[in-house]
Amino acid sequence: MAEMKGRPGSAGQRPTGGDKAVATQKKQYFRRKKVCRFCVERIDDINYKDVKMLSSFVAERGKIVPRRISGVCAPHQRRLSDAIKKARNIALLPFAASA
Amino acid sequence: MRVYEELFIIKPDAPEEEADQFIEQMRSVVTTSGGTVDKVDKWGKRRLAYRVDKYREGAYVLVQFTSGPDVVKEFERRLRVSDLVIKFLTVRIDQTLKRLDKRKKNREKRAHRKPAPVAAAPAQLPGPPVGEPAAAE
Repeated sequence: MAEMKGRPGSAGQRPTGGDKAVATQKKQYFRRKKVCRFCVERIDDINYKDVKMLSSFVAERGKIVPRRISGVCAPHQRRLSDAIKKARNIALLPFAASA
Repeated sequence: MRVYEELFIIKPDAPEEEADQFIEQMRSVVTTSGGTVDKVDKWGKRRLAYRVDKYREGAYVLVQFTSGPDVVKEFERRLRVSDLVIKFLTVRIDQTLKRLDKRKKNREKRAHRKPAPVAAAPAQLPGPPVGEPAAAE
């Protein structure tokens, strides 16, 4: 995805402290500021039945995508993870995908 | 009274009439104990995300009803006992609905208020571009 662009090598695995890291690092690269999709699109209802939407926040193996990658704000991530867990319970989403 | 949402999965190899009959039965469970069924939605057969009781697909049924908490107990007991149902999930949604309603109202209120500043803004905007050429000289 575009968020991961320009990251040198192994730095992609390490959690950097959000956007603060950009200014302190010597090597400069452009990183787009991430915004919460739910805030921007004004989605109030994060529903567990909306599989299409939820699956975009689930990684290939079925894990919930962390906030630092997806850019979702804390209140929305909370509701999102709740919804994903409900969806898993009723077999709409996998607990662990056998990929 | 609370609003609940019950989503359950019926075996894919169960005959359609039997499933309908079962749904009617569940409807009567709610109504006889003083609740009201607001919505019954059959999603049809879908693939399950993982295997449940050796089934790879199932027919999803969504029932939304308004009732007291004891109805849910009976409802769930029936689902558990039934041979047709392989999985179910109960969610209480009245608080969520209330929250969403409030947010929607707030948003509408704000939308009503907004037109005034938006109309005023374009009038101010042409200002800076006029001043800029003067500064460049």
